[in-house]
Formats: sequence, structure tokens, C-alpha cells
Amino acid sequence: MSNWILLNYKLPTHPSALRVHVWRKLKRLGAILLNDAVWVLPDMPRTFEQFQWLAAEIQEMQGDVTFWRSNLVMGLPEAKLVEQFSKQVHEEYKTLLKRLGKKNPDLSRLSQEYQQIVGRDYFQSEVGKQVKERLLALRGEKG
Amino acid sequence: MKWVTWENIGVDRMGCIWLIRRWIDPNAEFLFVPVEGISLPKGAKPFDIPGTRYSHHGNHCTFHALLKEYNVPDPILSQIASIIDEADLVQEINVEPIAPGLDAVCRGIRRISADDYEALDRGILLYEALYTELSAGNG
Repeated sequence: MSNWILLNYKLPTHPSALRVHVWRKLKRLGAILLNDAVWVLPDMPRTFEQFQWLAAEIQEMQGDVTFWRSNLVMGLPEAKLVEQFSKQVHEEYKTLLKRLGKKNPDLSRLSQEYQQIVGRDYFQSEVGKQVKERLLALRGEKG
Repeated sequence: MKWVTWENIGVDRMGCIWLIRRWIDPNAEFLFVPVEGISLPKGAKPFDIPGTRYSHHGNHCTFHALLKEYNVPDPILSQIASIIDEADLVQEINVEPIAPGLDAVCRGIRRISADDYEALDRGILLYEALYTELSAGNG
């Protein structure tokens, strides 16, 4: 059974730039917001450190923040939670695959986007592997 | 001077330790404490611990904070700060290709080291190598 880390925070309404900054960081990390209440990530050294720093940053912004390490007891089954994370990256990978299928794709840009998605692909998605193979094949064609 | 940080050092703290020893305080002694449950020893300067002076601020790493405070005028050090900013924090825009590799190697160094003191020595070697390579105009 895997462990999860949870983050809940409240920031002052103004300035809104701080709220946007925190929200974007959470999205960039691939965290999932459960029931508009708690942000969730799988517990790994890297995600743990990122939540820790984000929590410290929220405190610096005079916000309220709570950061837990937890495991699931009841409610959402573990597999469903994992599925939510996978679904999120699947959609991003699929868009990439589509763009890679077009004529003269911008490979350097698409490979950069791929690397960003891999950073939040916590459960090693199969579609991700397909994108990687496709990118490598296209590199071969060009070379 | 004694300096203290959390145990299990990674990319930012290995960089800070190298920066402190090489440029700020050659006789620096380092202490490592567990993340939870222990109050920081008195008389030691804390770094890379949330809520302290030398830690992350905005999108910048602790190395950046130390460099700014001690004002070491070397453009290579600013470049290393920018690399660690990307290696250690989630950024919207990435321009330093070395960053993800450096992060992975630092994590690996900690894994193959018996303790933080061994990791510290290896981290210093790694950053000295990086500094030398960047100074040669590569990267």
C-alpha cells in the first residue's frame, strides 16, 4: 500500500497573484484537488520536499497551511486515486501523440513538453512510453 | 563557525556546503539533524530549513539566498544558483539543461554514501567539478 501526502491551505484574498502562484505550482506538480478541499500527491522524497517548501512559502505569505503524511482508510479506493493521477497525464500525453502525428511536428518543443509531463507522471503511464518511443523514432528519421 | 541543516542532503544543500567551505567559511563545521522532533542546536547557523533566513524564498533555492547574503562576485556562482533553482524547485520555465541530471546525481550520491558526512565530501567534489567545467566556458 502506498502512502500519500496531503496539503490544505488558506491564503489572504489579496493579492490574488499569490493565490495564482501557489495554484500553478500545485498544477505543475500534478497534485490532485480532492473535493475542493485537499491537495494530494503520492509520498516520494521529491514530492515530499516540494510540499514542504510550498507549505513554508504559504506561511511566509501569511497563509494558513497544514501538511500531512497519510494512508487511505476508507472511501476512495487506492486504485481509483492512482487512476486519477494517471488520467491527468494520459490526456496530456494523448494530445502530444496527436501533435506528433501531424506533418512536420516541432520536435524540440514537443520533447520539452514531454519532459515536463514525465516530471508529474508518478505511476509510469503506458501512453508516456508510447510518446517516448514515437519521439525517438522521429529523431531517428530526421538523423 | 558551525552550520546546521536537515539530514539527507540533496542538490541544494550539497551546493550550499560547497559554497560555504570554498567561499564563505573555510573552517565551517556541519551538523545534520532529523527533520522532526529536534530543536536546532544553539550557536549554529541554520540553512535550507524552512522558516529560517537562509532557505527558499519565492522561486529561489537556499544556495541563491547564501550567495546573495555573502555577495560573492563570481558570475559562475550565479549560474550554479540558477541551475539549483531549477533542480530543486518546480519552475514554469526551464533554461538550464544540467539541472535535472544534477538533481539525480546528488540523490544518488546520498544513496551510496554511508552518512551525510560522506555525502558532503562527495558533494563538494561534484560541485568543484561543475564549477571548473562551467568556468571553462562549457554549459
